[in-house]
Amino acid sequence: MNIRVVLGFALLAVVSNATAQVKGLLQVGAIKGDSYATWQEGGVGLYRYDTDTDGIVLTQGLIDFRADITSGWSAHGVINAYQDPEPTLGFSQVYLQYKPLTSSKYKWHVRAGGFYPLLSLENPDMGWISPYNYTNSAINSWIGEEVRTLGVEATIKRPGRSFNSKHSFAFVGATFKGNDPAGTLLAWRGFAMHDRQTTLNEEVAFAAVASLDTPQLQFQANQVLPFEEIDGRFGYYAGVHWDYLKKSQFRFYYYDNNGDPAAVNYSTGQYAWDTRFASAAWLYKFNAKTRLITQVMSGSTAMGDTRGVDNRFYSHFVLLSHKMASHRLSIRYDYFEVTDKDDWAFDPNASHGEGVTATWRYQLSPQWQLGIEGSALHSQVDNRAAMDIAEKVSQQQISLNAQWRF
Amino acid sequence: MKFITFVLLAFISVKSYAVTVTISDLDQQTVANVVAWLTPLQASENKARTNQSFTMSQKDRQFTPHVLVVEQNAEVEFPNLDSIMHHVYSFSKSKAFELKLYREQPQAPITFDQAGVVELGCNIHDWMLGYIVVVDSPFYGITNEQGQFSFDVPPGEYTLSVWHEGFGDISSTESQTVTVSDTDFNYQLKQKVTPRIAIGVDEFDEY
Repeated sequence: MNIRVVLGFALLAVVSNATAQVKGLLQVGAIKGDSYATWQEGGVGLYRYDTDTDGIVLTQGLIDFRADITSGWSAHGVINAYQDPEPTLGFSQVYLQYKPLTSSKYKWHVRAGGFYPLLSLENPDMGWISPYNYTNSAINSWIGEEVRTLGVEATIKRPGRSFNSKHSFAFVGATFKGNDPAGTLLAWRGFAMHDRQTTLNEEVAFAAVASLDTPQLQFQANQVLPFEEIDGRFGYYAGVHWDYLKKSQFRFYYYDNNGDPAAVNYSTGQYAWDTRFASAAWLYKFNAKTRLITQVMSGSTAMGDTRGVDNRFYSHFVLLSHKMASHRLSIRYDYFEVTDKDDWAFDPNASHGEGVTATWRYQLSPQWQLGIEGSALHSQVDNRAAMDIAEKVSQQQISLNAQWRF
Repeated sequence: MKFITFVLLAFISVKSYAVTVTISDLDQQTVANVVAWLTPLQASENKARTNQSFTMSQKDRQFTPHVLVVEQNAEVEFPNLDSIMHHVYSFSKSKAFELKLYREQPQAPITFDQAGVVELGCNIHDWMLGYIVVVDSPFYGITNEQGQFSFDVPPGEYTLSVWHEGFGDISSTESQTVTVSDTDFNYQLKQKVTPRIAIGVDEFDEY
């Protein structure tokens, strides 16, 4: 597992002589969390923080680097520092990119390593963070915690301007190993709303779900190692980007980790989940100041040799963001649900909820930014009853953030 | 002294005319952003415009200016005014080059020693597109919104060459022989001009 970190640092050493661009960001927040303990601490809360973390915390700390080895080859990485749930330092992305200069009007590039599929239009800032809300949408909270490509991705672009067209297209295809347990959190916790990305060697905890004490689920650990390879099979995804003058940007992706639900790693307590989803994201600029971002995701996930845990999941969000001089106001509505399709009545997986998040950010200088955010959600998760917790829960979280970037 | 200056000025004003050329398309509509230059038919002691420094900046993830006209053998600087890096290149016949990823000012200016059209791109930002038109004459310019441009040229026989980025073949030019006297003249393009596509981008469009 830690070999990825070692590889990352080795890569850093190799490229340290090349032209490098290093950016970074530190974000400190004063948080007023909710009384329900966060899933990170084994609670059922769907926010990153709870009353135990009230006070000043490091909400984001990252270094985003790019080093050019040759004209076409470059090395990229993002190192994240977190103090919740435990102080950690790790890579959330580390990959090599080959993007040759070509006289063709079509452009292409290849990425190899660990990285995000570019299906979100909500997270374009450095280190895959959002410039809009601090708390990500339910969809991209899940992408940040359980989805990562550990493989090879190829992209062919048809830039409109080179063809005297207002329409630009990109076609993306990837194959990868790892990412077998993706879907675990959706089954036993449901969607959440946060900006805590999982680094490549991390594990994510969730509540002590009662059904994990049954013989059928006895080998499942009370945590997920989302990027682990379990079944030895390759997963894949394909995507298309369609831009109209950059005023309208549309992305459609189909992802299938091709997991073998019968495969299990007994030592880590992780199953391979057969997880697949389609995601459509659209960004529309009404003008230079106001934009709409929306995304819809629909998929399924199953584990166990009889597909004893078999769920569908669905989520969408609508985000409106308006920029006035140094101020940016962003408001987002999220809907999310998991539907239980299997007949294991002792393991209820259904959940649903919705949330509203409003954020105001003020750019003091190119380096400094201040912001405040309020978020409220309510959720129903069927497996809470067996833990003696109300199935329906309403939560709020308020944060004041100061961000410094270099 | 005043007298000498007067004589000198009079001499110069006799030697060249400020003529205005108006360029229109097939539909008789005037066309802006047409690059036009005059090359004398008889070789003369054309003096190159001296001490001119040219820059093709990268600002807000676009080439600025979008079209730059320079005389052959001119040196052009490529300052990067953005806080991010650019990777500028050209595959054009008259000048192929690459400026590897850089911030601020790349090492040395680039000399454009061959006349022709140089198409610029950025390997990081696909939408960035710019042109440097290298001409073999000191009499050149770009038409304004009224499709006009004024030359200050001595009278005589010239070849008028024109180029627009909307031409079907981006590396081709149109030309015609013209006689420069004290009258303005018009030129009608022989081909359809595809309108320029302007793409407005911001700091989050790179993702």
